[in-house]
Amino acid sequence: MTTSCFHCLEPVPPGFSAHVQFEGQPQPVCCTGCQAVAETILAQGMSDYYKFRTDSAGKVEELVPEQLKELLSYDNAEIQQDFVSQQGELQEVLLSVEGISCAACAWLIEKQLLGLKGVARVDVNTSTHRAMILWHPKQCKLSDIIKSLHQIGYKAYPFQADDEAAQKQTVAKAYLRRLGVAGLMTMQVMMFAFAMYFGMFSGMEDNFEQYFRWISLFLASPVIFYSAMPFLTNAIKGLKAKQLNMDLPVSLAIFGAYAASCYATVMSVGEVYFESICMFTFLLLLGKYLEFRARLKASEFTANLQKLLPLTARKLLPDGEQKIVAAKSLQLSDQIMIKPGETIPADGVLISGSTTVDESMMTGEHLPVKKYQTHQVYAGTINHDGVITIEINKVGQNTLLNQIIKLQHNALTKRPKIVEVTDKVAQWFVACLLIFASITAVAWYQIDPPHAFWVTISVLVATCPCALSLAIPTALTCAVATLTRKGILIKESHVLETVPKLTRMAFDKTGTLTEGRFSIESISILDKSWQESDVMAMAVALERYSEHPIAKAFTEQVVSPRQLSDVEVITGSGVKAGFNQQRVAIGKSAWFGNHSSFAQATLFVDDQPIADFYLADKVRHSAPEIIQYAQSQGLSCHLLSGDSSNAVKDLALELGLDTYKNACSPQDKQQQVESWSAQQHIVGMVGDGVNDSPVFNSAHLSIAMETGADISKNTADVVLLNSDLKSLQTLHLVAKKTKTVIKQNLTLSLCYNGSILPLAAMGLVPPWVAVIGMSASSILVITNSLRLLKL
Amino acid sequence: MSIIYILIPIAILFVIIAIGVFFWAVKSEQFSDLNKQGHSILFEDDKEQHNKSNDRDKSV
Repeated sequence: MTTSCFHCLEPVPPGFSAHVQFEGQPQPVCCTGCQAVAETILAQGMSDYYKFRTDSAGKVEELVPEQLKELLSYDNAEIQQDFVSQQGELQEVLLSVEGISCAACAWLIEKQLLGLKGVARVDVNTSTHRAMILWHPKQCKLSDIIKSLHQIGYKAYPFQADDEAAQKQTVAKAYLRRLGVAGLMTMQVMMFAFAMYFGMFSGMEDNFEQYFRWISLFLASPVIFYSAMPFLTNAIKGLKAKQLNMDLPVSLAIFGAYAASCYATVMSVGEVYFESICMFTFLLLLGKYLEFRARLKASEFTANLQKLLPLTARKLLPDGEQKIVAAKSLQLSDQIMIKPGETIPADGVLISGSTTVDESMMTGEHLPVKKYQTHQVYAGTINHDGVITIEINKVGQNTLLNQIIKLQHNALTKRPKIVEVTDKVAQWFVACLLIFASITAVAWYQIDPPHAFWVTISVLVATCPCALSLAIPTALTCAVATLTRKGILIKESHVLETVPKLTRMAFDKTGTLTEGRFSIESISILDKSWQESDVMAMAVALERYSEHPIAKAFTEQVVSPRQLSDVEVITGSGVKAGFNQQRVAIGKSAWFGNHSSFAQATLFVDDQPIADFYLADKVRHSAPEIIQYAQSQGLSCHLLSGDSSNAVKDLALELGLDTYKNACSPQDKQQQVESWSAQQHIVGMVGDGVNDSPVFNSAHLSIAMETGADISKNTADVVLLNSDLKSLQTLHLVAKKTKTVIKQNLTLSLCYNGSILPLAAMGLVPPWVAVIGMSASSILVITNSLRLLKL
Repeated sequence: MSIIYILIPIAILFVIIAIGVFFWAVKSEQFSDLNKQGHSILFEDDKEQHNKSNDRDKSV
C-alpha cells in the first residue's frame, strides 16, 4: 500500500522518507516542498487547516531564483501602478491565488497574512480564487506578502481586473437585486392570492376582495417595472434589430397579463393574475441568473489564467547587463530580450536572433510565423524557439494589445454552433407563435369576445419557447462549471460536442504520461579530452535557453555558466550556440547524424558528440488507469514522442498502448494525426511541450497540461489545471452526460410546447395553468441540466 | 376585521425594509463568496487573538 502525503495527499514516492509532527504523530510527506509548507503551517499554530479542509492542497514547488527576481520586481513602484491602489495610508492589491480549494484555504491565507507585520486586512474569495489585501507599505513589501503565501503553498500574482470583469460583477449584482425584489414580493402577493382563493369558496366580503386586489396590484408593480424590465428592454432591442427573440412573447405575456389585471382591478370585473405574473418573473429570472452565474464562474477562472501580457520585461542596458523592468515603463527604442516560450511584452522590431512567433491571437492563423531581423513582432504574441532581442517601436495605446484583448473576449463569448441553431429555431418559433396567437385572438373574438383576451394570453404564455432556449445553454454552462471546478478548463466551445465522438487518443510522453521532472542519472564522456565539470557547465549554459522539460534537470545544477553567443533553439532538436569560435549544441543524440545512443541528451562541439546525458523520468501514477479507461471506452491509445530513446518503447509496453512512435519531430506528429483524420478518425491529442503546439492545431481536440509551456496552453482547447490525467476520464464522462442531458432537454421542451399549443388555442388552458406549465417546463429543463453540476 | 386595513400596510412596510436590507447586503458584497462564511465558524481562534500575538511581536 502506498502512503499519501500529509499535505497534498499525493502518493509518497518510494524511497523518499520525510515526516512532519502533527498532534504528536509523525506524518509522511512526499517532497521537501510539502514538508516545508506543512512545517510552516504547523509551527505557526494553524493545524486547524488540516482538520477542516475539505479538499487536498496542491503539490508544492519551490521558488526558483528566476521567480524570486520577478517577485522583487513587484515592489517597483512603476510596476505597482497597474494593480495597486492607494487607500489613504494603506495600499490595496488584488492577488490571484492558485491552489485555493476550500474554505480552510481562505482561513489559512487570512491567518498567515494577518500574522505579517503591516498587513491590515485580508479578504479571500474562494469562488474567484482571489485575495484582496490591504497593507502598510512602510512596514512590509508586496513581495514579502507573496513570499509568505508561498511558504504555505500558494502561488500568487497580482490580478489586473479589466473593465469587462467589473461590468459582469455589476450585472450579477443587478440580477441579485431584481431576484430579491421579485422573490420577496411574490411571497406577499401569493399570500393575498391564497386569501382570495379561499374567499372564493367560503365567501369574502366584496370590499375586502377589492382591497386585496389593490394591495396585490401595489405589490406586483415593482416586480413588473423593476424585476421584469430587462425582458421588455431586450424584446424592444430585438425588435429594433428586426429580430424576434425569446423575450418578446415573454414580455407580451407579462405586460399583457399585468395590464389586464390592472384593468380588472380598477373596473372590478374579471380575474386578476398578479401572483402568476410575479411567480413567472421570479422563476424566469432565477433561471437566467443561474445561467449567468455559471458563465461568470467559467470566465473568472479563465481571466485568472489568461495573463495576456507579462508584467515585466528583460531590458538590455547599454553595458550588456539585463534588468527586469515593468513592461509598462518600456520606452521607444528600448531593447529587450525574449527567451523561447515567453510572451513578447511590447511591439517592436527584431534586431538580433531569429525565431518563429505564434501570432494566432491576433490573426487566427495557427501556423507560426518566421521572424528575422527587421521583422515586426507584436506584444502578446509568443516567441517560439529563438532567443531574440527587439527594439521597441510602439508603446501604450499604439500597440496591437487592444485588438488582442478584443479577440480574446470574442473567443470567450463565442457560442457553440448548436446554440446558434436553437436560437434560430426559437426565432422562427416565436414568429409562428405570434401569428398563431393573432389567429387565436381573431377566431375567439368571433366566437366569444369576453374570453378572447385571456385565451390569447394563455397561448402566449403556455407556448413560450423558454424551455427550448434554455435546453442547451443551461446544460453547457453547468457542464463547463463542473469541469472548471474540477480543474479542467474548457477554452473552445466545441469541446463538449467533440469529446464523445473521439475514436483515437494520442499522448505525448514527456510531461504527459510521465511527470516530466527529470534528473541526471549519469554522464558518459565520449571525448576524453573533456572534464565532467566542463561538460556540465556547457550543458547548463545551453539548456538555460530551453523550455523543454529535460532542460530543467540541467538548470537545477549549480555551476558557473559560460557566455554564449547566437543562441538558437531548434524545436524538436535542441539548443545550439557559439562559444569561443566553436559551435556548441545540446539536444537529441541523432541531431547531427553521426552519433546514436539511448541518451536523452547529447552535448556536441563542432557537430561532434562530446558527452551523453542519461536522465530518468517516472510514469504518472494516473497514466495506466486512464489508458485502461480509454480503451474500455473503445478509444485506441497512441504514443507520439519526440524522445528517441528506448524509454518510449518500454513505456508503451508498460502501459499497453496500441501503437507508439518515437523520435517524432513536431511535423511528424502533425502528419501522423492528419493521416488519422484522413481515415475518418476523430483524434484527441494530449501534450504539454512547445513541440506539441503544431499538432494541437491538427487534432480535433487538444488537451494541454498546466505544467506545460505557455504556448501549448494557449493553443489547446482544454487545459488540465491540476495536470492530472484522471481529469480526462472526468472530461469524457461529463461530455457524454451533457450530450444525454441536451437530448432530454430538447425532447422535453418540444413535447411540452407541442402538446400545450392546441389545448391553449381551444381555450382549455386558463392563464394561471399556462404560467405554471411554462414555468414548470423551464424549471424541469434547468433542474435536469443542474444534474450536471453534481457530477 | 377592519384592523387589516392598518395591519397589511404595516406588513408591507416591513417588506420594504427587508428589501432595503437586501439591497445593502448585495451592495456590500455579502453574497460574493457564500462558501467561506459557512466554514469560518469551525476555526477556533479568531482574528482578535491573532492581532494580540502580532502586538506582542511588536512590543518585543
